[in-house]
Amino acid sequence: CKFFSLTETPEDYTIIVDEEGFLGDGRGSPCLSDKPLCSPSVSAELPSSEHLSVADATWLALNVVSGGGGFSGSQPIGVTKIAKSVIAPLADQNISVFMLSTYQTDFILVRERDLPFVMHTLAAEFTILRVVNGETVAADDLGITNGFVKPKLVQRPVIHPLSSPSNMFCVTSLDPDTLPTVATLLMDVMFYSNGVKDSVVGNEDSGHIRFFSFSLIEGYISLVMDVQTQQRFPNNLLFTSASGELWKMVRIGGQPLGFDECGIVAQISEPLAAADIPAYYISTFKFDHALVPEENINGVVNALQVSQAEKH
Amino acid sequence: MSGSKPDILWAPHHVDRFVVCDSELSLYHIESAVSSELKAGSLRLSEETTATLLSINSDTPYMKCVAWYPKYDPECLLAVGQANGRVVLTSLGQDHNSKSKDLIGKEFVPKHARQCNTLAWNPLDSNWLAAGLDKHRADFSVLIWDISSKYAPETAVAAEKVRLSTGDPEAGLVVTKPLYELGQNDACLSLCWLPRDQKLLLAGMHRNLAIFDLRNTSQKIFVNTKAVQGVTVDPYFHDRVASFYEGQVAIWDLRKFEKPVLTLTEQPKPLTKVAWCPTRTGLLATLTRDSNIIRLYDMQHTPTPIGDETEPTIIERSVQPCENYIASFAWHPTSQNRMVVVTPNRTMSDFTVFERISLAWSPVTSLMWACGRHLYECTEEGKASSLEKDIATKMRLRALSRWFRCQVCLFQLGYMQLSASAVARRTEIKYSEFTQYISSEILFGKVTMYEGDLNLNVVAMALSGYTDEKNSLWREMCSTLRLQLNNPYLCAMFAFLTSESGSYDGVLYENNMAVRDRVAFACKFLNDAQLNRFIEKLTNEMKDAGNLEGILLTGLTKDGVDLMESYVDRTGDVQTASYCMLQGSPSEVLKDERVQYWIENYRNLLDAWRFWHKRAEFDIHRSKLDPSSKPLAQVFVSCNFCGKSISYSCSAIPHQGRGFSQYGVSGSPTKSKVTSCPGCRGSKSDEKVDLSKDKKLAQFNNWFTWCHNCRHGGHAGHMLSWFSFILHVFPFYLLSLSRDHTECPVSACSCKCMQLDTTGNLIPAETVQV
Repeated sequence: CKFFSLTETPEDYTIIVDEEGFLGDGRGSPCLSDKPLCSPSVSAELPSSEHLSVADATWLALNVVSGGGGFSGSQPIGVTKIAKSVIAPLADQNISVFMLSTYQTDFILVRERDLPFVMHTLAAEFTILRVVNGETVAADDLGITNGFVKPKLVQRPVIHPLSSPSNMFCVTSLDPDTLPTVATLLMDVMFYSNGVKDSVVGNEDSGHIRFFSFSLIEGYISLVMDVQTQQRFPNNLLFTSASGELWKMVRIGGQPLGFDECGIVAQISEPLAAADIPAYYISTFKFDHALVPEENINGVVNALQVSQAEKH
Repeated sequence: MSGSKPDILWAPHHVDRFVVCDSELSLYHIESAVSSELKAGSLRLSEETTATLLSINSDTPYMKCVAWYPKYDPECLLAVGQANGRVVLTSLGQDHNSKSKDLIGKEFVPKHARQCNTLAWNPLDSNWLAAGLDKHRADFSVLIWDISSKYAPETAVAAEKVRLSTGDPEAGLVVTKPLYELGQNDACLSLCWLPRDQKLLLAGMHRNLAIFDLRNTSQKIFVNTKAVQGVTVDPYFHDRVASFYEGQVAIWDLRKFEKPVLTLTEQPKPLTKVAWCPTRTGLLATLTRDSNIIRLYDMQHTPTPIGDETEPTIIERSVQPCENYIASFAWHPTSQNRMVVVTPNRTMSDFTVFERISLAWSPVTSLMWACGRHLYECTEEGKASSLEKDIATKMRLRALSRWFRCQVCLFQLGYMQLSASAVARRTEIKYSEFTQYISSEILFGKVTMYEGDLNLNVVAMALSGYTDEKNSLWREMCSTLRLQLNNPYLCAMFAFLTSESGSYDGVLYENNMAVRDRVAFACKFLNDAQLNRFIEKLTNEMKDAGNLEGILLTGLTKDGVDLMESYVDRTGDVQTASYCMLQGSPSEVLKDERVQYWIENYRNLLDAWRFWHKRAEFDIHRSKLDPSSKPLAQVFVSCNFCGKSISYSCSAIPHQGRGFSQYGVSGSPTKSKVTSCPGCRGSKSDEKVDLSKDKKLAQFNNWFTWCHNCRHGGHAGHMLSWFSFILHVFPFYLLSLSRDHTECPVSACSCKCMQLDTTGNLIPAETVQV
């Protein structure tokens, strides 16, 4: 299993896992890396399959590699960086995406059946590479040319309601070699922290939210947790930035967002890109979450609310 | 490295020190084992060497990679890359007053923590240290630190936000501002500075190899590949780089960076280390996981990049320095082909890769062999006799002299003699002459050839006792004693005298007698049936023995080739074979593949001796005797106008377009008339001499001019003389004495060149001086 992500939100646990990991040992097809399956669960009880609700389609993870150059020196990071080049064009083509930001990079999950459209859309902006026998080669002749209209530039107001919890988050990683030493702590944090949670529950109205994300993708670990949780980890074990930057969250959606609506990520990321504000973006089964630097949170919320107001 | 697998590094400047690093750094001193007993605390590395532990440094936990400061430093300064991306300078020395003291303990901290995969010191500016880090979504993965830089100017700003380094007592030694940042949103797995320029850095990124040019950091050259691990530059060939991915090593040429020039055969297990030997060109050592052998690839013979398709030859070897699995190895920086290996349980072994011995014969008699940096030559001692016996020496000397002519003449003479004798025998003509020849040759002439200590008077005395009587004592004595005679002719003579009539085996099978003499004898004394049988038997004998004298019997025929084959098998003398067989006029002899093989070998031999002229002479000689061996023309004169060849030799090849014989090529007096292109002369264009430069006659006479119409021409002086009735020396039309030259001098060209030129008629003939 090369792609695994578990995100805990107050509502549910969202698990993204590749086909090999989903189907289990032996029965599964050989490891299909970069081919994760979105499999969110409504319950904490993972093994009982009746509690597992699985998104209908197989999703493919796209990852923008700055191999071709062109990104040197640009400071905005994360979703902001690819807002114009990837997210907006996909939204314009009405392709539904599912975002997962990690410490290392951003993954954009698209439905496998949408892939030809995605390829065609992105071919304008990127050199699309294909891995053949271990070597990356330029993929040409995408095959689909008709049925594409140059999309009109449209304003994308923020449609869904926003909320901003009060806790501060950090995005970290850790050395895979040290993972065993914190395994029990991780388990505790992810599944058995109700006691801690209870103390927070009382403050839920004041904006605290339970949110924890763990992903292990191609050997790289990424963790998103709030500051309180981070303090439970041993000193110097987690990788953080030298400046110790902290992030605040914008939660998108009042009703579960579903998987078919397009443009949600674009609605958020485009104003951020315009303001050069770095951001992380984590989609879960029901809602989307954007993380922005703590010092920018007010500006971001304002900007997004302005955008929201334009709708009406 | 942190954990089970130790790595090992030689000190770049202390040839007797190395470091083993796993969870801590251990410095060892290596020395030769003078006695067979081990000193207390030392470890045996090989039969000759032992190692002593000097010091241990466990200041730096979570080590991921280590690189030794390249400048001479008595304190063994090391850079250590840690799991959180920090790079720490540390030392293994005991002396804390050294000049690098202020460097020790310095830390270089990236903006976002993640594993440090690799470190590389700049070989030209030892203050530059490149660190390759894992991927971060926003940060750079290649950071180049200046170790001499003072603490970062932002330290004050950073300090208030630094939440992690609060426990760091040496916060003042932390540097957070790298000199260069490269490879945003990418992972760097391996690094290596290019020796070509201080500012060129080769990095194995997540999915590509990239060359960063620090003079212009916005640009980079990159190639997409999976082979991004362990990039390393060949120290002897700065454009050659090795990198690996799982079990496969790729060799790159930086001048042709699109794809690997070579990929080495894939190993079943993933590779862990690939290193060029620093003391020997083109030797690459590779190590795979869980293996006790080191595989060596010798690219000695491929110094230049090879074209697209051809793969250079590589000699693959493997060495087994110890019984256990090898965790890592390190080449010694100066000692030739020497390396130390370390096993997972930290036993070490000192080991020298023995160089292959290569051997080469020179085309002359010397022999060379090479091993490592030693070259040995072996020349045969000047024993003239043994040298002369060597067929190669003989052939060389013969090739230099004109030996072959004489030899061939001899053969021809001999063969002719034999045929003559056979003819004589059959026709009974000049019988007496041959009798005389035989008697004189056999009984007297040849005897003298063998005259040594033999007193011919004694022979004469013995001969004088000859009687016809069959059972005389003389006969008995002679027939037994004759075998003691060294002279085959005398021996044969006495055999003849003592033999029963009609039984001449003693003479006929006296192998030391010349074949022609035996045949001549047979012709004289045997009847037809006996003669045929004898000749046949002798021929087969000669063929089997490869005795060249047998050529007299076989002639230069198919049988002769068989005979020559056994001769060549026996002696290796392809020279004699080549020359003899060239004389064989029947073409089937020359077509015999053995003959062609000998000839080609002889030519190659001459080439190997650099006797180019002799080889050319041989080729000429050969082409005279064997016209089919004539090489095709390689230089042609082509017509500027039509592009066809105007070479004479082409006419000999019938399929070369239209035949040229119609132009009088075949030796007729008109041959010299072919001054125009035979290919396009039919295009009756007009001729015109360019006469506009008549003022400078002295030089102008030698100018090459031509008619703009028909494009025929020649020296301006000659053209003028042609058209002005004064015929001096006309180089390409001597036969014509016609006075009326209004037409082009080229035969069959009716172009009125001169009349086309209006000024041409005005030139006074007197001005023309040739």
